[in-house]
This record gives sequence, structure tokens and C-alpha cells, in this order.
Amino acid sequence: MLNYGYDEAALRISESANENDVEFRIVLAADDPSIIAGLKRVRQEFDENRVYTDVLFYHYPDHEYKIIVRKDYYVDFVLELMKQRLLQSVEWTADR
Amino acid sequence: MEQQAIWAIGIFLVIYALIISEKIHRTIIAMIGGLLMVVLGIVDQETAIHHIDFNTLGLLIGMMIIVSTTAETGMFKYIAVLAAKKAKGEPIRILILLSLITAACSAFLDNVTTVLLIVPVTFSITRQLRVDPVPFLLTQIIASNVGGTATLIGDPPNIMIGSAVPELTFMAFIANLAPVAILVMVVYVPFFIWMFRKKIQTTEELKQGVMAMSEKELISDPKLLRKCLIILGLTLLGFFTHQMLHLESATVALAGAFLLLLLTGEHKLEQALTKVEWMTIFFFVGLFVLVSGLVETGVIAQLAKRAIDLTGGDPIATSMLILWLSAIASAFIDNIPFVATMIPMIQEMGSMGVSDLEPLWWSLALGACLGGNGTLIGASANLIVAGMAGKEGHPIRFVQYLKVGFPLMLLSVVISSVYVYLRYLI
Amino acid sequence: MEQQALWAIGIFLVIYAIIISEKIHRTIVAMIGGLIMVVLGIVNQETAIHHIDFNTLGLLIGMMIIVSTTAETGVFKYIAVLAAKKAKGEPVRILVLLSLITAVGSAFLDNVTTVLLMVPVTFSITRQLRVNPVPFLVTQIIASNVGGTATLIGDPPNIMIGSAVKELTFMAFINNLAPVAVVVMAAYVPLFIWLFRKKIQTTDELKRGVMEMNEKNLISDPKLLRKCLTVLGLTLVGFFTHQLFHLESASVALAGAFVLLLLTGEHRMEQAFAKVEWMTIFFFVGLFVLVSGLIETGVIAELAKKAIDLTGGDLVATSLLILWLSAIASAFLDNIPFVATMIPMIQEMGSMGVDNLEPLWWSLALGACLGGNGSLIGASANLIVAGMAGKEGYPIRFVQFLKIGFPLMLLSIVLSSVYIYLRYLI
Repeated sequence: MLNYGYDEAALRISESANENDVEFRIVLAADDPSIIAGLKRVRQEFDENRVYTDVLFYHYPDHEYKIIVRKDYYVDFVLELMKQRLLQSVEWTADR
Repeated sequence: MEQQAIWAIGIFLVIYALIISEKIHRTIIAMIGGLLMVVLGIVDQETAIHHIDFNTLGLLIGMMIIVSTTAETGMFKYIAVLAAKKAKGEPIRILILLSLITAACSAFLDNVTTVLLIVPVTFSITRQLRVDPVPFLLTQIIASNVGGTATLIGDPPNIMIGSAVPELTFMAFIANLAPVAILVMVVYVPFFIWMFRKKIQTTEELKQGVMAMSEKELISDPKLLRKCLIILGLTLLGFFTHQMLHLESATVALAGAFLLLLLTGEHKLEQALTKVEWMTIFFFVGLFVLVSGLVETGVIAQLAKRAIDLTGGDPIATSMLILWLSAIASAFIDNIPFVATMIPMIQEMGSMGVSDLEPLWWSLALGACLGGNGTLIGASANLIVAGMAGKEGHPIRFVQYLKVGFPLMLLSVVISSVYVYLRYLI
Repeated sequence: MEQQALWAIGIFLVIYAIIISEKIHRTIVAMIGGLIMVVLGIVNQETAIHHIDFNTLGLLIGMMIIVSTTAETGVFKYIAVLAAKKAKGEPVRILVLLSLITAVGSAFLDNVTTVLLMVPVTFSITRQLRVNPVPFLVTQIIASNVGGTATLIGDPPNIMIGSAVKELTFMAFINNLAPVAVVVMAAYVPLFIWLFRKKIQTTDELKRGVMEMNEKNLISDPKLLRKCLTVLGLTLVGFFTHQLFHLESASVALAGAFVLLLLTGEHRMEQAFAKVEWMTIFFFVGLFVLVSGLIETGVIAELAKKAIDLTGGDLVATSLLILWLSAIASAFLDNIPFVATMIPMIQEMGSMGVDNLEPLWWSLALGACLGGNGSLIGASANLIVAGMAGKEGYPIRFVQFLKIGFPLMLLSIVLSSVYIYLRYLI
């Protein structure tokens, strides 16, 4: 799968497996409009494609997001985070 | 002339059979059928165009433009999350609330549009609660067909009837059909609870997850939302008063649509026009021309005469015949071609001396709209939801739907029979 | 009634002014203008719908579906590369060949479609030869307007005239207009060579690069191509013989389109509908309704009377007035609204005692089509090419085009005047 690095001062990302899904929890540390906009674009990207259950976003107060990602869209999701510069590096892990 | 009529019937039956077989897309078949009528000279192009009900098409196009633009604002997601929170994250309550929202929306929007808006949010909520989405989808299909019955713009059969019969105004549809729709919905809710409560259980923890959600951020474009709501409001106002203003419904819907595009600017124009379901629009075009072949060759008049002979012209028998025939037919075939065929037939009955056509029109509307609940192929919304669910890995089986939908459909048609009889026939 | 006419004129002029100003997209403006006519009760919806020329719309939609599907096969790229090789890679020869192909293409396809197909391959060839693409694009714009003049389906003005006047068949257009188009094109080619030869020089090495290209693998889907060519051929045969079969052109085009969709299968249908230029279609709808307001209030009849008073009803004077007025007007404003206004005017002239309308129709067609070459905003194809070129970093300036286009346009109108006078008026 993928290893990724991000700016820990700006956001925290944690993931856990849940049946066929990977659940991400993203908490933004500060009220940074560029990061919020980036996350919004990630959401738009997956809202506008033709699959409804690939990546689902749930908004919580204080800039906390739960994101349920179908396993077959895990890579797409992480790469989209990278594209929006929410991640700083992405690399393949050895097990592939 | 006799020869022409036989050709027309032949083409009509073959095309109908092909539509039912679903081997080739219905739009292609209907258009080819309509064009055959023209090419073989059964109707000429000018007569054919005259039979195309552009009021229906204009109304559909206008509403599709308004709704597809409104959908972009995130308003429907907002409403759904709010409903889930109001239901305290309890699945069965969410199921009921979402089905009521579906019914209310599809009264004022096209059914297909409504389910296209509500299904994605349903997937989102059920995934979070880790419950099976299928019961939600089934009840939404049923609610959309019931809700659509309530108004002139709710369901294609009503749009077609309303635009073929100018005396039946927007208010007349509400006054005559909304009471039945509400009654049917009220009767259905306990059934929904009884059938599905056991199947959709979740944990306290997951409920809390739903309760903690924040819906505010879902409105992606508040400025656009304000514009959309103003236009949607004005358009609905226009529908309520269209008779007084001497405007037809297509003018109201298209005026709303193009005013909205004027407000949002031209960058939305191309997108909005592309999102119109042209396949549905051309399906209508093809059907209208196809049926025009039957009308022009006198086949419809002949059929109407047979039907009156059968019922002896008795209004009760005729109404009940139309109601039940429409319901059963719409359960198994697309209700749009069926209604397209029935409308000229009922008009013929008017010219054959049936003096009060109103009960017949309401019977047709109730039968065609509510009948759509009978099977998974009974209405476009059903097929669309089934298609979306299948693609996401939750297939809805024909028989699985039939067991729920068909008894509920029969129940609603019984209720309608009583209503039509009590209100119009004694 | 008088009051209504003033309102109609007022709305018409304001809408026209906004269309010319290009501040808001013309489709939105035209639709809103048309809807205002209906909402204010100047025409009712039924009359308005009756004035919409669905034959024009059907023909455009049908051809757009056929062409957009054909374009996917790569056949147009194939032809362009073949032409470049036949020209031995010599830029000015390629320029002439491509402009001739454009002329022939736009005689049988819509102009906008033709340039949409030609421009990308032009960029591809000029990039390889490292020459400026602008001369190629300018000559293609001009050629598309000349070629479009030749047939009923070549250019929107001709489509509108052909569908408003039943007596003018597809063959009649070819018999009467194709000779002029051929003469004008023949006169233009030496001028093209003289104007541009110096500006597009390349090296022998780059020419060899073109000669070595392989055009075979540009055909991406030979099976689809066979289907498209068969249907395209049948459709053209249908156009040539539509009078014999008592069919109108829209029936032919739509039959072609849906037979093609039947052959290619439904997966292409959604895409084909998405590629129809709905903005253009609704622009037409709005304009037809807008003009219907002027017709129903008697404004057009009044104008026709004034024009006849001006020329004393003399056929030579009236024809030449229409020809030159159309040419100058179409050079600076969209020729579609202009023709939409002129058609009912000429029809009125017919009912006022001008017994031979044919020279007037051909004058209108020649003026409106060839006039489009007068400026960069004279026709949709011009604007589309300019837009595409600007986006790719090769802007075509208004004045730059005017210097070439306007004199060439005047030349073509002089040729047309002589032709009309000799053929119809002595």
C-alpha cells in the first residue's frame, strides 16, 4: 500500500480498517483556508464521479472529518490528497 | 385508410414489444418507431410535429435545468444530514424521514431527479450506520411514486395529462390528487416500520457518530443556493397561479430556468443543458409521434368506442376500468407510453358523449402513477434506483421488490377506487 | 393591438442589442426575450410553439448526432493527412487543399462542425511544418462559409429558408446556389495563394517529415467507420430524393441519426446527445419565438410593405436590396436572427403581390451565407475558429481578419449580384 507524510503542524491524519472500508479521520489543527479548500476539492472530485460509495465524507465540528473510503479507491483517495497538497510525500511500501 | 391503420397498429405493437423486451434502448426504439410512421407516410412530418406535446417537453427541460443547478449547492445533502440528526441516528426513524422527504420532493420535482438526489445521501448515511441500504432505497422508490402523484409536475403521467387538458390546472391536480397521495403515504408508513425495523439495527456508538456530524459545511455555495431558492420559489408560485396569469406550465418552468441561468451566468449554461436528460426527452418525442399514427388513422377512436361499448358508457364502470387497467399496465410496462396512448382515447370518449371526463382523468393519473410501484420496472425512478444500487454492490432483485411493492400498490389502488367512487361518482 | 406591436418592437430591439453587445450569452438572452413575448401575452404559448421551426431544429440535431459519431472514427484526420501528403508537404498547397476540403465538407455538414473537425488537424500539420497556422485558419473560415452556401444543409440560413419554403427542395438549392459557390471558390483560390504564399515557408526536411507520416493508423475504429459512412451516404441520398418520397429534411436527418445509434448501440447515445450543441438549438428556439411576436402583431407585414414601397415592387431592385442588405447585415451581426426576421418578411411580400419569390430567396441565402465572411463576428464558424486559435496561443485579430475577409466578401457579393441578375431577372 502507501506510506505518506504530511505537515503535522497543520493537520492530523489517522486511518483504520473497517470491513471492506478504510476509515480516515482528518483533524485540521488551524483554521487554514487553503487546507479547507483543498479538502473541499477532494470531496468534489469524488462527489462528481459516477460512483457514489467510493469515498464518503462526514463533517464534524472543529474541522474534524471522517472519511469512509472503499478499499478499491484507497490509492485514488490518497493520491487526490497528494494532488491537493494535503500530503507532502507518497511512496509505495515494499509489500507490493 | 384501412390499410394505413393496419400498418400503424403493426408498427405500434412491434415497437411496444421491443420497448418491453429492453433489448435495445427505449429511446432509440421509440424514435425509430415514430420516424417509421413518418417515413411510411402514415402521418406527415407536420402532423407528427403537431402531435408532439411541447408543453410536456418544455416543462421537463425547464425543471431539469432548475433542479440540476440547485443540486450543486449541496442543499439536498444538508437536508438529509439534518433529518438523520433529528431522527437521533435511529435507522428506522431515518428511513421514515427520508421516505417522507422523498415523497414531498417528488411532488414538486420530477421523480427521477428526486431519487438521483436522495440515493447518494442515503448511501452516505447507511454506510456510516453500517446498515443495509436496500430497505431505505425500496421505501424511497415507493415514496417517490406516491409523492409524484400529488401534483401536476410530480410525475410524467400527470405532466402529460395536465398539458393535454388545459382545464386541469395545477391547483386542480393538488385539490384532487394530493389528498389521495397523503392518505396512501400515511397508510404506508406503519407498513414500512413493520417490514423493515428488524432489518436495520445499529450500535449506540454509530448513532452517536451521526449525531455529532456538522451539516453546516455541506452548503458548498451559499450565494448560488440563495439564487436557486428564489427561482424555485418563484417558479412554484408561477405554477400555483399559472391559470390566472394565462400562462402554460412550460412557459413558467422555462422562464424559471432561463432566469436562473441569467443570474448564475453563462458558465453554468452548457453544463445545465448537458445535464438535461435528453434520452428521456427524445423518448417522449418518439412516443408522441408513434401514438399520432394511431390517432390519425382512427385506431384510438375505434378503441375508445370499444371501451365505451364494454362499460355501456357508465361513468363508474369506465372510471374503474381505467383506474385498474392503468395500474396493472403501469406496473409492468413503462407508464409514459401507456399514458401517451390513453390520453387521446379519453379525449375521444369525450367527443362520444361521455359528459364528465374529470373522474376519468383522475383515474388515469392515479392508476398510472401509483401503478408504477407494482414492480421494479414499473417506473423510471424504480429502474434508476435499482441501477444505482446494483452498481454500488447492493443489487435489488425483481422478486424481492415485487413482494414489497406489489401488495402495497394494490392497497393504494383500492384506496384510490374508494376515493374516486366517493368523491366523483355518487 | 397597436400597443402590443410597440411592446413587441421594443422587446425585439432590446434583445437584439443585448445579443450584439455579447455581454450575456446569446442563448440566455434570446430565450428570455422569447419568454417575455409569451409572459406578456403578445403571443400565447401555443402560437409561439407553432412558430418554432422544428424542421430546422430536427435537421440540426440529426446532423450533429451523425457527425459527432463519425468524427470519433478518425476519418477526418485521415483525410487531412492524406491531403498533406498529396500536397508533397508544400505549405501553400496544403493550405489550398485543406480549404477546398473545408468547402466541400461544409457543403454537406454544418459549418461549425466542419471547422471543429478541421482546426485540430490543421494545428497538428502546421506544428509539424513549423509554419504559422493563422493563414490556414483564415482560409478555412472563408471556405466554410462559401461551401455552406452551396446546399440546403450547408449553413443555418439555408436550413431555415429550405424548411420555411417547401417548394425549395434540396436539389433546388444545389441547382441554384452551388454554381455560385463554385465560382466564388475558384476566384478565391488564386487570391489565397497570392496573399499567403510568402508567409508560410518551411524547410525540405520538415516537408519530408510530413511525407513520411502514416495515415493508416489514424482510423481508430474501422467497423464504426463503415457504419457511419453507410448511414451518412444513405442520409445524403435521402436529402437528394426527399421531395420524391414526400419527406421533409428533418425526418431524413433524424432517421439517419437514430438508425446510426441503432447500429452502434446504446452506449454511444448518451455521448451523442451530450455532443449536440444545445446552446445553438435553444438560441434558435428563443429567436423563433421572439420573431413570432413581431409577426403576430403585424410588424413584419408593415416592414415588408415599406420595403416594397421603397423598391416600387420592382423585382431587380428588391432582389439586389435583399442581397446587399443581407450581406452587410450578416457581416456584422449573427446571420441566424437576421434570416429568422427576413423569412416572414419575404413571405409577406409574396402575399402582397410579388409573384416570383424565388430570386428573393436565393438573394437572401447568398447574402446571409457569403456575408458571414465580412468580419470575424459574421458567422458562428468564424467565432469558433477564433476562439480555438486564441486558446492555443494564435489569436486572430478582428482587424486582421477584416482586411482579408471584407474585400473577399464584397467580391463574392458582386459575383452573386451578376449571377442573380443574369439568371433570374432578364
